[in-house]
Amino acid sequence: MAPALEQLSECLWELPATGGMRVPGRIYADAGLAEALRDDQSLTQVANVAHLPGILCASLAMPDIHFGYGFPIGGVAAFSVEEGVISPGGVGYDINCGCRLLATDLQEGDIRERMRGIVDQLFRDVPSGVGASGAIAKLSRKELEQLLVQGAAWAVKRGYGSPDDLDHTEDGGVLPGADPAAVSDRAYTRGLDQVGTLGSGNHFLEVQAVDQVFDREAADAYGLREGQITLMVHCGSRGFGYQVCEDYLAVMAEASRRYGIELPDRQLACAPVSSEEGRRYLGAMDCAANYAWANRQMIMHLTEQALLRSLRLQPRDLNLRLVYDVAHNIAKLETHRSGGSTVLACVHRKGATRAFGPGRAEVPPDYRAVGQPVLIPGDMGTASFVCKGSEAAMDQTFGSTCHGAGRVMSRSQALKRARGRMIDRELESVGILVRSQGRKTLAEEMPDAYKDVERVVAVMDTAGISPRVARLRPLGVIKG
Amino acid sequence: MVEEPRRWDPAGREEAYQDLDHPADVFLEVWGGDLPSLFENALFALYDHLAELETFDVEREEEIRLHAKDYSEALRALLAEALYRFETECFVAIRAEIAVDDAAVDQVGVTARLKGEVVDKTRHRLLTEVKAVTYHQLAVERAPEGGWKATLLFDV
Repeated sequence: MAPALEQLSECLWELPATGGMRVPGRIYADAGLAEALRDDQSLTQVANVAHLPGILCASLAMPDIHFGYGFPIGGVAAFSVEEGVISPGGVGYDINCGCRLLATDLQEGDIRERMRGIVDQLFRDVPSGVGASGAIAKLSRKELEQLLVQGAAWAVKRGYGSPDDLDHTEDGGVLPGADPAAVSDRAYTRGLDQVGTLGSGNHFLEVQAVDQVFDREAADAYGLREGQITLMVHCGSRGFGYQVCEDYLAVMAEASRRYGIELPDRQLACAPVSSEEGRRYLGAMDCAANYAWANRQMIMHLTEQALLRSLRLQPRDLNLRLVYDVAHNIAKLETHRSGGSTVLACVHRKGATRAFGPGRAEVPPDYRAVGQPVLIPGDMGTASFVCKGSEAAMDQTFGSTCHGAGRVMSRSQALKRARGRMIDRELESVGILVRSQGRKTLAEEMPDAYKDVERVVAVMDTAGISPRVARLRPLGVIKG
Repeated sequence: MVEEPRRWDPAGREEAYQDLDHPADVFLEVWGGDLPSLFENALFALYDHLAELETFDVEREEEIRLHAKDYSEALRALLAEALYRFETECFVAIRAEIAVDDAAVDQVGVTARLKGEVVDKTRHRLLTEVKAVTYHQLAVERAPEGGWKATLLFDV
C-alpha cells in the first residue's frame, strides 16, 4: 500500500521521501481525487520514480494520474543531465502522442446543418482504425530517414501545410537530436506506410465549437472567440514509435544492470542520460517525436482538404490555421531553474503537457506575452480545454501540466456498461455526431469511462499551473 | 466477450483466456494444460483483440522460430512477433501449432506454425489496435489447479 499523502495546499499533496526515495512525490489533486488515489498503485509508482538517480526536486503527478508501465500516466520527472537517467518507460509506447488544435473562420451557425456531410468526409479522407495506412504513397526508407530528421517541416516542404504551422508547433515540430541510425529495421518497416493516419484507441479527430472563453487576453492572442469552429487532432507516432519503445526497453533492461542502477521496479529500466545507451535512445526517441509531428501535420492537411471539399469553400474563406501542437508523451532536454540555479534537465512527460509560461524563448513570439497554449483533450461527450502555461508551472512542475481526463473505467468494464446501449445514438441526441471504424472502440471510449475533464482542468487552474483560456465543445468526432 | 472466458475453438476444448480489470490497457490471464497450449491460447488472445476471428479462414501458413532466456520472455517475444507480422503483413492466424523446447538450461526455444489469412477489409472486421505486448506483470507459471497460466498486458 502506498504511504499517506500530506496536504501542502488546496490542490497539492506530498508523498514524503521515505526509504530509498531521493526526493518526495508531489501530486496535484483536489481532496476527492486525492482520496480516490489513497489505495491506488499509481501512488506507489510516483514513489518508485523518486528512487531513480539524478531526479530533481520531486516526482510529480498531475490530477489525471493513473497506473502505467513503470512510470504512472500523468507523471513528470526531471533528471540532471550529468547524474540523471533517461527511461523509455517514462515516455511510453506512443512517443509524442499529442494534440493539435486548428482554428477556422467558420462560426457554429455556418455548419450546423452540414455537420453530417463534414464528418462523413473527414471519416473518408483521414485514415483511422486498426492498422490504418495509405494516407500518402508508401515512403522509401530514404524518404522516411529524411522525415525522421526534419519532422513537421518534411510535410510542409512537400506542400502539406505552411511554414507558419511550424512556428505554432512545440519545438517547431522537430527535435534536433534525431539519429536515424539508432532506429531498428523493424521500426522503419512499421513506419513506411502510416504517415497521415490517426490509429485507434483514444485517438481522434474532432470538430468543435468554442463554447466559453475564460481569459479574453489569452484567447485573443491564440485567435479564439466564442462560437468559432475549431478542430482537434489527437494521435502520435503510430507503429514506428511503439517499435522504438519496444526496442529500447530491452536495451535499457541490460543497461540498468550494467550501470548498477538499483530499480524498485524493473519497468523503470533506464540508463544515464550521458551514456551510449541513453544517447541512442534519445536519438531514436527524437526520430519518433519527429514522426509524430509530421503525422499530425499530414492529418491537418487531409483535414483541410476534406473541409474544403465538403463545404465547397476556397482556402482563404476557411482560413484553417494551426493554433498550437503539443506533445504529451516525451522526454526532452530543457533548461530549468532548480535549487536556485539554472540546470539542463532531461524532463520526462508521460501523459503530461508542456506548459511554458510567459517570456520563455520556446513560446512563439505571438504567444510569448501570455504563455504557450496548453491543449487538454476531454472525452468525446464532454469538452476539451485550451489553457495557458504559467510562471507557476516554471517554478513548480518543470513547465508541465495535465494531459487529459484520464480513464476511470477499464475497457472491459466500459464494454459491459455499454452493452445494450447505442453510444453513437446517445451522443447524437446531445448534438455530437460520431463516426468510428468499430463499435467496440466507441463503447470502450464512451464518456463514462473517463474522469471528469472539467475537474482535472480545474485542479491545475486553481493551482495556477495552467489557467483555463477556453472550453471547446465537440460537434463531430472521428474515432479509430 | 467480457465476462465469459474465451475459447480458441468455439466447439469446445479448454478455456483460453479472460480479460482482467485494468484502467487503461488490456490485462489478461491465459490458461493452458501444457506450455504449447498456453502459448497457443495467448496467441488466440492477441488475435481475438485485433480482429473478429469468425470471419477468417486458413489460407496461408507462417512460421515463427525464436529463442529466449525463459518462458515469459519467450511468450512475450512470440506475441510481439505475431503483432509485428499483423502490422506489417496484415496476417491474422486462427489456428496455431506450437512446439516448446526447454531441454537446454536457461534457454527456451519456440516454433510456432500459424494458420490464417491476410486481412481483406471488405470481408474482415478489425477491432482494437494493440500498440505493444508489454513486460508489465508478465508472468508464466504453473497453475495451482494444474496446467499453466500466464498474465499479459497489451498496451492499447
